[in-house]
Amino acid sequence: MTSDPPDRRTVVTGIGVIAPNGVGADDFWKATREGASVLGPITREGCGQMPLRVAGQVGGFDAEAAVEGRYLVQTDRFTHYAMAAADLALEDARLRPDENSPFATGVVTAAGSGGGEFGQRELQNLWGQGPRFVGPYQSIAWFYAASTGQISIRGGFKGPCAVVASDEAGGLDALAHAARTIARGADAVVVGGAEAPLAPYSMVCQLGYPELSLGDDPATAYLPFSPEANGFVPAEGGAMFVLEHERAARRRGARIRAELAGHAATFTGASRWAESREGLAHAIRAALEQASCAPDEVDVVFADALGVPEADRAEALALADVLGEHAARVPVTAPKAGTGRAYCGAPLLDAAAAVLAMEQGFVPPTPNVTGTAYDLDLVCGYGRTAELRTALVLSRGLMGSNAALVLRAGRPS
Amino acid sequence: MTHVLTHDELAALIKGRAGIAVDPLDLGRPGATFEEFGVDSLALLGIVGELENTYATPITPGAEMSKTPQDFLDAVNASATTGA
Repeated sequence: MTSDPPDRRTVVTGIGVIAPNGVGADDFWKATREGASVLGPITREGCGQMPLRVAGQVGGFDAEAAVEGRYLVQTDRFTHYAMAAADLALEDARLRPDENSPFATGVVTAAGSGGGEFGQRELQNLWGQGPRFVGPYQSIAWFYAASTGQISIRGGFKGPCAVVASDEAGGLDALAHAARTIARGADAVVVGGAEAPLAPYSMVCQLGYPELSLGDDPATAYLPFSPEANGFVPAEGGAMFVLEHERAARRRGARIRAELAGHAATFTGASRWAESREGLAHAIRAALEQASCAPDEVDVVFADALGVPEADRAEALALADVLGEHAARVPVTAPKAGTGRAYCGAPLLDAAAAVLAMEQGFVPPTPNVTGTAYDLDLVCGYGRTAELRTALVLSRGLMGSNAALVLRAGRPS
Repeated sequence: MTHVLTHDELAALIKGRAGIAVDPLDLGRPGATFEEFGVDSLALLGIVGELENTYATPITPGAEMSKTPQDFLDAVNASATTGA
């Protein structure tokens, strides 16, 4: 990051997306720029009787085609998505696992809940048939660190590895952790996260969230910043990135898609949305400072957009607290209104969309939402052409984490 | 367990429990090791569990640490005749 010496800058060279609105960055961007909503009824086995009706499911993903059988049997769906997204990111970066020393590339993922579907199956075996019927992979598949471990093993990445478990905003914290790993000497980090919370046990765990929308109409179940906002809907999927030391990326002639310029995180307590104003504002201020970015240099904001009035208001006020009058002028968007919130994967999908938006010079719209109750220039309906050099990505978690990330447009090699 | 485990059955168990396709003839090749097929001790532990559940007979502890298919079959089939 920019507070480090200039030659320790961290850049994005690869993006891999597994999202409800598209597998692969191209399909994801096409749906995102059109503002297509893919929210719909949850159709997974055993989920039909749940009061939670609407979510963003990943469709068109063939796990068996994407990942070898030996990795599929020992992993949950959340790791399937992460492994496939990592492959896409590495392919995009044209970084072959054997190109660097194996110790020069690390892996960092964020995880919100681990492998609930796999865990449920094995717990059913435990209580239905007995301990001898629990498979040994239960010991690793449910675990928060499973995706990091499996991506590392599968790709032969022996550099510094970590998992960030810091709530939904952990998706952005993982990117920052990867940047610190690079500042300490790694050449590259495969970083991101994906979630798979749409299985019966995982869904029951979410039912206690007061912020969850139980609406059954996909067109109105998640309307962030709107006067009709009534909660959020969950989603699955996420994104993985290849982050590299700028010099290492330039040395190998990689395409530099963006620069990670600043990040900061704060904590203000579970569901204390009014207080998240101060925490989010502090994170935005610190991230901008780290990026040496003046408030009016922010060209687009990818909002957290929880869809709970108190939280939406706090976010709008946090932006005003830091950006001043610019807060009412800068385009603010929430593409996740059309896909749902994939927990840790949500801010990573926003980071992917932010990089694509800067490259394409286009602010994607906020699906389903037609107007805002706050003093923001929320992009609704159609997206907008704009020159975008700096993007601010915001995220908050239900347990109280707040994070802000500043991305700068990539400069030609 | 009076059943004697064959290379064909072991290959099917490896496919089912470890997701790895292995030719039974390769398993039977003299000097073949589990390592060359990517079958580790966690995979073998799952296979031991399935055999114990299927045949309701305990298998000699440590069978999952076998380095070769032959050692594994020997350990499992010895359990079959002695009842571990």
